[in-house]
Amino acid sequence: MTEPLEKAGVMDTGNKPILQIRNVSKVYRSKGNLFRGSGKEVVALNRISLDIFKGEIFGLVGESGSGKTTAGRLIVSLEENTAGHIFLGNHEVTRLKGKTLKDFRRKVQMIFQDPYQSLNPQRSVYDTISEPLKIHRIGDASARKDAVKEALTSVGLSPPDDFLFRYPHRLSGGQRQRVAIARAMVLNPEFVIADEPTSMLDASISAQIFNILLAMRKNLDVTQMFITHSLAAARYLCDRIAVIYRGNLMELGPAENVIRHPKHPYTQALIDAVPKFGHSKEAQRYGTLLGKEHEVRKDMGCVFYPRCAVARDDRCSRKMPGLGSIEDGHLVACYLHGSEEIRLKPFSQALAEGR
Amino acid sequence: MRAREKYPLLNSFLEGWSIFRQNLLGRIGLVLLIMFALMAICSYIPPWINPMYNPMTGVDPLITSCTPPSWAHWLGTDFMGRDILSQLLAGARVAFMVGISAAVMSIVLGVAIGMTAGYMGRFVDTLLMRLADMIMVMPTLLVVLILSAVFGQLNIWTIVLIIALFRWPGVSRIIRGQTLSLKQRPFIEAAKVAGASHFRIIFQHIMPNVLPLAFLFMTFRVTSAIITEAALAFLGFGDPGTVSWGMMLQWVWKTGHMFKAPYWLLPPGICISLITLSFYMLGRAMDEVLDPRLRKEDQTD
Amino acid sequence: MALLEVENISIGYNTRKGYLKAVEGVSFELEEGQSLGLVGESGCGKTTIGMALMGLLPPNGSVRDGRILFEGNDTLKMSMDEIRRIRWRKMAMIFQAAMNALNPVQRVGNQIAEAILVHNPDLEKEAALSQVEELFDLVGIPRERLTDFPHQYSGGMKQRAVIAMALACHPKVIIADEPTTALDVIVQDQILEEVRDLQKEFNIGIIFISHDISIVADMCHDIGVMYAGQLVEFGPWQAVFESPAHPYTKALLSSFPTLTGKKSDLVPIPGETPNLIRPPAGCRFCERCPEAKASCEKTPPEWVDMGSGHKALCSGD
Repeated sequence: MTEPLEKAGVMDTGNKPILQIRNVSKVYRSKGNLFRGSGKEVVALNRISLDIFKGEIFGLVGESGSGKTTAGRLIVSLEENTAGHIFLGNHEVTRLKGKTLKDFRRKVQMIFQDPYQSLNPQRSVYDTISEPLKIHRIGDASARKDAVKEALTSVGLSPPDDFLFRYPHRLSGGQRQRVAIARAMVLNPEFVIADEPTSMLDASISAQIFNILLAMRKNLDVTQMFITHSLAAARYLCDRIAVIYRGNLMELGPAENVIRHPKHPYTQALIDAVPKFGHSKEAQRYGTLLGKEHEVRKDMGCVFYPRCAVARDDRCSRKMPGLGSIEDGHLVACYLHGSEEIRLKPFSQALAEGR
Repeated sequence: MRAREKYPLLNSFLEGWSIFRQNLLGRIGLVLLIMFALMAICSYIPPWINPMYNPMTGVDPLITSCTPPSWAHWLGTDFMGRDILSQLLAGARVAFMVGISAAVMSIVLGVAIGMTAGYMGRFVDTLLMRLADMIMVMPTLLVVLILSAVFGQLNIWTIVLIIALFRWPGVSRIIRGQTLSLKQRPFIEAAKVAGASHFRIIFQHIMPNVLPLAFLFMTFRVTSAIITEAALAFLGFGDPGTVSWGMMLQWVWKTGHMFKAPYWLLPPGICISLITLSFYMLGRAMDEVLDPRLRKEDQTD
Repeated sequence: MALLEVENISIGYNTRKGYLKAVEGVSFELEEGQSLGLVGESGCGKTTIGMALMGLLPPNGSVRDGRILFEGNDTLKMSMDEIRRIRWRKMAMIFQAAMNALNPVQRVGNQIAEAILVHNPDLEKEAALSQVEELFDLVGIPRERLTDFPHQYSGGMKQRAVIAMALACHPKVIIADEPTTALDVIVQDQILEEVRDLQKEFNIGIIFISHDISIVADMCHDIGVMYAGQLVEFGPWQAVFESPAHPYTKALLSSFPTLTGKKSDLVPIPGETPNLIRPPAGCRFCERCPEAKASCEKTPPEWVDMGSGHKALCSGD
């Protein structure tokens, strides 16, 4: 059942979004053993809600452990969410199985982070890119070959015949990542998730990949989610950005707005920390990060409270705020900017109480 | 060129062959193996020429004891007057049969069980691995001895089957380990995201990455199967109806000719060593063929 | 006389495929208390230079030409003993993936104490440990964590521990090879600030090796840009950043997305880095250079001086 959009904390522009995430949570439980009884729990995502609109490039920015990669994996169904719902268009796509899952796979694809590991070393470029076509029984051998060649050309690996029968170990990192992109695109998906596609590549090669992603949107109208730890990259590539910290969304809005006028103390701390090409010393800092962490009771209050230098509201230490709108399309999860408390308990607490 | 493109299997075979050819160890191993294969094929020739050359039953009317090499018998005769060379050739045939059959069987079993255990995980994994453990601790030779004490002399194919049944656990452990580590790799996840079924992932992604290891293992298995069979024959528990190199060694020993007839003792011993060596070399070369990363021409630092 | 002078060094590796000319004719100087950044992408030779400075090249690598003068003495002509006396006491290194440089089965405090004791054999263990405590104060690790094992440390803390280890013998020069690559941006910011403070306090010269220009600009007085084994531009950071002369520097700068300022198109550099076993005869950047002239392919470029220490290796200027 979809909650009213306002309450779920997402904007309503009247457009119907292509992907809707509602109250999705993911908890990892490590197995208990003889000595520990039930294992430890890690809440990777805590009741996340998001809308992604057709044709946009949406950025999910966070540091390590923020849950950004988990979010991507849940959307492509590599893992199952512990609670919540995901909708693609009008259909619910959480917990799909069998044929419906296979059909879903044609529409949603992923580009992985490590180009050195995401291609099967035993298979040639042709094998790798044509595999999705074979799986979904599209076309005959010669049609597939044409499709593969076209995919290679569109990612800049020309002439395609040079690359068809090469093996990954004879390709550079940038070339491998392009093959990975070609593989993701060969099915003409509606939605592609790029999970830190350039973190293992040099800057000049990363720039090539960024431009390919932009071209994909321009020429093929593919909606994309770009997962990254780099605000600068997100600014370059994305229309809208969401900042995620410890499994919770902190801020969401148009990229330029979030970066030029960040409202959440965590976003501000991130921006402070980004090196500014020699101008870091003079640059003005928001100064929202504490030197030493606050002591706080587990699972209570805002996830950023322990490190927040500007926390003033009583509620900051007691309950996690939900996303609230501050202006058109720009949302923040912070009491200082008028957010309301999430009316539901933190997911981990709900779990512990057996709900 | 067009045929190569049309049939990717042909293409990869030809490609593999050219890589194999360039590897020195592979060439030596192959040459040796071809030699042994020829021996095996030629084993049919001597009895056809003259029944007295039959390795089991052929007896030279003129000779009834152990004699050194002569024109009639190029390697001499054994204690019963049977031609040693024909025995050697027949032994090659048996070695191939036993070695390859036992190896193939144990590898097929080991790979299937190992991949299943690794991929399915949890209950199935535990069950299969405990079974493997139980079998692994049982001593093969002892079991064969007991079985032959109970059932009398065993047929060669029974021996092959037993060797295979006892040898798969070692293979499956290694294959399971490989499968487990492969399961986590991004390219497997990419295949899942593309929509690949479990079947496809196991046979098209995991198996090819596991096969090089399996092939390598197979060469060890062949050698160990041949040696096991030779050991069994040597100890007197082989199939008395077949002439194998191990059997020949048993006869030498049993009849007390070990130090008296080097022309009888040495050939089977040398053959056992050489055939094991050649399979090992083959395995090393196959490794390079099957794993594109090991190919010397393509290596960049 | 500068603290560290590198004169025209060329370094190569003997590989299966041939002799790889990893570094060719690089020269620079480091004064006491100054910091120098070596910037470039993978394969440009910057890490090789760092290793050569410490005398830590692998067995198949060797310095073919040139001199490395530390306090006026050529380290390439020194014996192993003499190098060991310099190494760590006068010149220390923070390695790439430094977090993996910690021994997982030894307590962190003991590891650093060991580093101290190796270079100060007359010292007592307690004295060494108390020095480690002081180092921890310096780098911002709580003293209680001395007895912990590396896996109990967070990423940032491990990095701080490795910095403490580098500082252990109060060196005059620290070579930092990508010290913050694996860290999140907030932790990176904190650590870089601490390194700057430590540098000021102890007047340490730092050679900062990185592929990330944005960090180097913040940390260093001078910047050297490397491409395919050669130094292609050198100068005070402001000059290099605001008026880059070499086409590669310009291209490199325009391939980094920025957070501030006008959002401009990222212009990637087409093509691939040249093969260093058979490097081109002329300019090594020529094939990918948007400003290449006909002569660039055959004639090696010369240094062009732009004044106040800023120079570029280019025929095009």
